[in-house]
Amino acid sequence: MRLRRLGAAFTALIVIFVGFVTLLGLNASTGVPAYDSIINVLRFPGLANLFLQLVVITTAVTILIGIFNLLAVHTTRIGRFKGGWFYSVVLVISAAGVIILYILERANVPPGQPAITTVLLETVQVSIESALAGLVLFALVYGAYRMMRRKVTWAGILFTLVLLVLLVGALPLPGLGLITSVRDWLLAVPVSAGARGILLGIALATVVTGVRILIGQDRSYRE
Amino acid sequence: MDGTIQIITVLILLLTMVVSVIVTQFVRRRRDLYALRPIPAYRALPLVVGEAIEANRPIHVSFGSAGLGGGTTPLTLASAELFYQTAERAAIGGVSPILTVSDPTAIPLGQDTLRRAYQSRGLLDSYQGGSVRWYPAGARSLAFAAALTATMGDDRVSANILVGSFGSELALVAEASARRDRTIIASSDQLEGQAVAFAMADYPLIGEEIFTAGAYLGDSPAHIAGVVTQDVLRLVLVLAILIPTVFALGDAFLQGRFTAAVGRLFGGG
Repeated sequence: MRLRRLGAAFTALIVIFVGFVTLLGLNASTGVPAYDSIINVLRFPGLANLFLQLVVITTAVTILIGIFNLLAVHTTRIGRFKGGWFYSVVLVISAAGVIILYILERANVPPGQPAITTVLLETVQVSIESALAGLVLFALVYGAYRMMRRKVTWAGILFTLVLLVLLVGALPLPGLGLITSVRDWLLAVPVSAGARGILLGIALATVVTGVRILIGQDRSYRE
Repeated sequence: MDGTIQIITVLILLLTMVVSVIVTQFVRRRRDLYALRPIPAYRALPLVVGEAIEANRPIHVSFGSAGLGGGTTPLTLASAELFYQTAERAAIGGVSPILTVSDPTAIPLGQDTLRRAYQSRGLLDSYQGGSVRWYPAGARSLAFAAALTATMGDDRVSANILVGSFGSELALVAEASARRDRTIIASSDQLEGQAVAFAMADYPLIGEEIFTAGAYLGDSPAHIAGVVTQDVLRLVLVLAILIPTVFALGDAFLQGRFTAAVGRLFGGG
């Protein structure tokens, strides 16, 4: 138990040190001579760059972890014949096929442009995702319907009315001048104000969480 | 960043540090002084977990495209805290929660979150590494949304807790969840995702409510201090917006005499 506590304290110390050095190193040219010279003498900008490079390398490693995770999850599913195992077979074969194709491309086999993996991405993934994007609108309309069906509240009525005004106002039809003006006003004033309010709240909470981790009060990485 | 912005950044961070340290000391001494307002999503969460355990079905939790190392790092850590609290409650059930991510940097965090939850219950042997799943999203996140809808059916998911970074594609997942009559708790740092969550989730979390999971579901004064710090700084922010607004409006109505009058009131020329 004592060893674990010691480990947790050591982890917190590393986080605090790295966090402060990176923060100060990235803010090393404030124009305040005394502050800037201390930060530069301590070589914080160089250390901050080193830490950022380590982050980039770690991120690259996590992609490898991700590929292993993907293959491990789906081969286990195939082995146990769990629900949807056939889709896992398709996924594993596709993944292996694309990896082999990519290796062959790097060896310039077969030669020519565009690359097969690019063609696969554009003809398969992009078109399927575009089709899914088309379904989002219907899902949203269903959401508005569901909201009203569950319970008719003032918020629900307002939400549905605004949704209707925005959709009708976007139609390129003549005689919708008033609705288009209302739509423009809605987007410029209440929607913009609400969006800024939500974003300010999230930004504030992000800063507080970041600072609390930096000073060791919030130890999400604890044991 | 130019010098002025760097100075402002350092000052904001210093202010936050000072407020956080002071508030934490207050909360540790007078913990009962601060009552948290009820948030329906956090009130419903234990019931949702209980239903999943009784039905012997997994709970699905997802970070969306939130990950470590970028602008969404604090959001990812806050979501991880919520998932930890959920997994800790669900660990006594027969089926492990499923955690999905689209940013690979969130995989180790997700695995550690579930492992810690099982360890805290003394059930580390029941933890399965395959419960964390990576669905690469690429440039768009619609493929990720499609993967989540499939997961819901294949794994007979009991409820979905989608708290992280989602766009409007959240509508597809929420619609699939509603069709299967599964409870959904959702929130996003993206405005499109937040709007969809408000309209389609059974229990939406709005804006900064994501960051308060530890205070509502845990029992630590440190987390409550985080919420109180946010409230104090929110008040400072409101004043920082309101005071210049009052001055601007006053000057507009009184042809620039408002600022001079306030200056005289406080002993200026």
